[in-house]
Amino acid sequence: MTNMSIVRFACGSSPRLCRSRTSFMVKSTCQYSATAVEEKANEQSSKYDLVVIGGGSGGLACAKEAAHLGAKVAVLDYVTPSPRGSKWGLGGTCVNVGCIPKKLMHHAALLGEAVHDARAYGWVLPEKAKVMHNWEVLRNAVQDHIKSVNWVTRVELRNNKENVEPSVPNASAFHDSENHLIRRKNKRTIDYINGRGYFHSSHVVNAVLNNGKERSLNAEKVLIAVGGRPRYPDIPGALEHCITSDDIFSLARPPGRTLIVGAGYIGLECAGFLNGLGYDATVMVRSVPLRGFDQQIAQLLCGEMEERGVKFLHKCIPTRVEKLENGQLKVTWSNVKDSSLQSDVFDTVLFAVGRRALTKELAVTTAGVHTEKESGKIRTDNEQTNIPHIFAVGDVLHEKPELTPVAIQAGKLLAHRLFNGGSEVMDYHNVATTVFTPLEYGTVGFSEERAVELFGEDKLEVYHAFYKPTEFSVPQRNASRCYIKVICEREKPHKVLGMHFVGPQAGEVIQGFAAAMKCGLTMDLLKTTVGIHPTTAEEFTRVFVTKRSGLDPTPQSCCS
Amino acid sequence: MDLKAVTHVDGYEEFVKTVAELEKNNKPIFILFSGSLDESGENWCSDCREAEPVIQEALASLPENAQFLHVGVGPRDEWRDQNNPFRKQSNLKLKCVPTLMRWKAPERLEEAECKKLDLVKMLFEEED
Repeated sequence: MTNMSIVRFACGSSPRLCRSRTSFMVKSTCQYSATAVEEKANEQSSKYDLVVIGGGSGGLACAKEAAHLGAKVAVLDYVTPSPRGSKWGLGGTCVNVGCIPKKLMHHAALLGEAVHDARAYGWVLPEKAKVMHNWEVLRNAVQDHIKSVNWVTRVELRNNKENVEPSVPNASAFHDSENHLIRRKNKRTIDYINGRGYFHSSHVVNAVLNNGKERSLNAEKVLIAVGGRPRYPDIPGALEHCITSDDIFSLARPPGRTLIVGAGYIGLECAGFLNGLGYDATVMVRSVPLRGFDQQIAQLLCGEMEERGVKFLHKCIPTRVEKLENGQLKVTWSNVKDSSLQSDVFDTVLFAVGRRALTKELAVTTAGVHTEKESGKIRTDNEQTNIPHIFAVGDVLHEKPELTPVAIQAGKLLAHRLFNGGSEVMDYHNVATTVFTPLEYGTVGFSEERAVELFGEDKLEVYHAFYKPTEFSVPQRNASRCYIKVICEREKPHKVLGMHFVGPQAGEVIQGFAAAMKCGLTMDLLKTTVGIHPTTAEEFTRVFVTKRSGLDPTPQSCCS
Repeated sequence: MDLKAVTHVDGYEEFVKTVAELEKNNKPIFILFSGSLDESGENWCSDCREAEPVIQEALASLPENAQFLHVGVGPRDEWRDQNNPFRKQSNLKLKCVPTLMRWKAPERLEEAECKKLDLVKMLFEEED
């Protein structure tokens, strides 16, 4: 009797522990007890049509759409604190440590510039040196906004809104033959669990809660939407003393003199707004800035940043970070070309050297899901992994754009295919994007390099022009890098393959052209579109100099 | 929390005075902005009348040290005035009644949301 109770105790803590014992008696009591544990787990667990791991852009969009379509859905969201202790609420990277705070801080920096331009327009303001920026005010305003979004997100998940149509077009199940909206009576709320999800088996997802307890969820289907987190390089002092984009937007004290390691869009955007707010910013670049983007444009963006005071350390990699007695950080780096070592002291070091998908933490291998070795990302076929009932969406996807609207769209379409008999698949082509560097860059379609690679230089015509925004004239702002480029097929009907815009409000300018490209925009159509004057977007309707002609693309006079 | 521990005030000036006092205690403050009672003793705001029993039930979910303030915003015609200080003050910017909020925090519920027990409980409970 005693033996059995001891064994049962051991089984209660971990069935696996029991299976490793060898005695026959122990084994048979273990089997009994293992079943008892499973039964107990089943009691607590509930059967969901869909368990979504990750409450970010992709996960929430899919979950909400699925619930609208009558599915029983659970969403797991959890934020492991960063090495500096930063954590945040529901909503994922975009809301908390990505797009939203980035745009707000970028805007704060632009407003600083606008204040100075305002003087030329007649505003009576203190001289430039007297206009100061208060980091805490900005940081608190940004954090307050993020928290209000976290709250609204939580309310939305619980608040089952009636009469709301799911937002995917062609949701034919929702309209009867006379196009009347049919209210789905079985629309459900979503169970939100603040816990770290992992695969216990391919159909069981466990959530580790804050109090350490675990909750078991039985899932018919699972959606992996865990996104990624910033990488730290494996050098002494990096993990201990440095920050990433996870920390910058909630930094309690002003960042001061900052070194940004990494020249992808995250590094450049951070360096850009820090410099704009008045902090000394240096960018360390290992190879080339904005790798994968149009390189001619990348040069323009960095040139502009340099002119505004951002320093660049090209072809350098950091080798160590030491904390000095006064709290500052001494960074040593090596020049990639000649291996010479240099060092300098900064108040803050921000690593923006890449992000890794959070698939390891998920124990995906338990479920049999394959991931790419280096990145941890998942290869999918219309968001389906190698395991038929397990799907993935968002930043975790291999070779798909890491963008919020992409994750949202893919998530919604997936929900329709899974729960509404939909057949529409996500189109990952010609997705427009914008880099919010001090001088912004909006683009849709191919970079010039990619177009040349795919079509051959001979089959392409590249139109380009420098232009000068009207508003820059009065304050005498430098417009020398305001530039547009249209890449199209040389053959009729001169289909447009890529559009590039460097200038203010780049995202606003490019958005409409993304829709035009979806309609099969051609150069002929673009040329016959009448521009709106005076705008910068109209430049796309009057670009006529080709690279091939060798003619001067610098601005003509205003209205000719 | 028991109904007796709820503080009642009417009108903007009383609200400002009372909340300043409550802030001195350094404990979380929850506020329900509601229509005031009219001459016949009835709350002119029907959504508020409906939300009240739900909120009362949820009071049990409040944290131990919470302070709860019930504010009547005044007569209906004063409320309708777009220049009403309840609508303009930066910590308030009330758009409607009932509005239930955690003071000086982003958590708030408006109108029909205040009638949903699980949402009210979610607002009252500390986030885990």
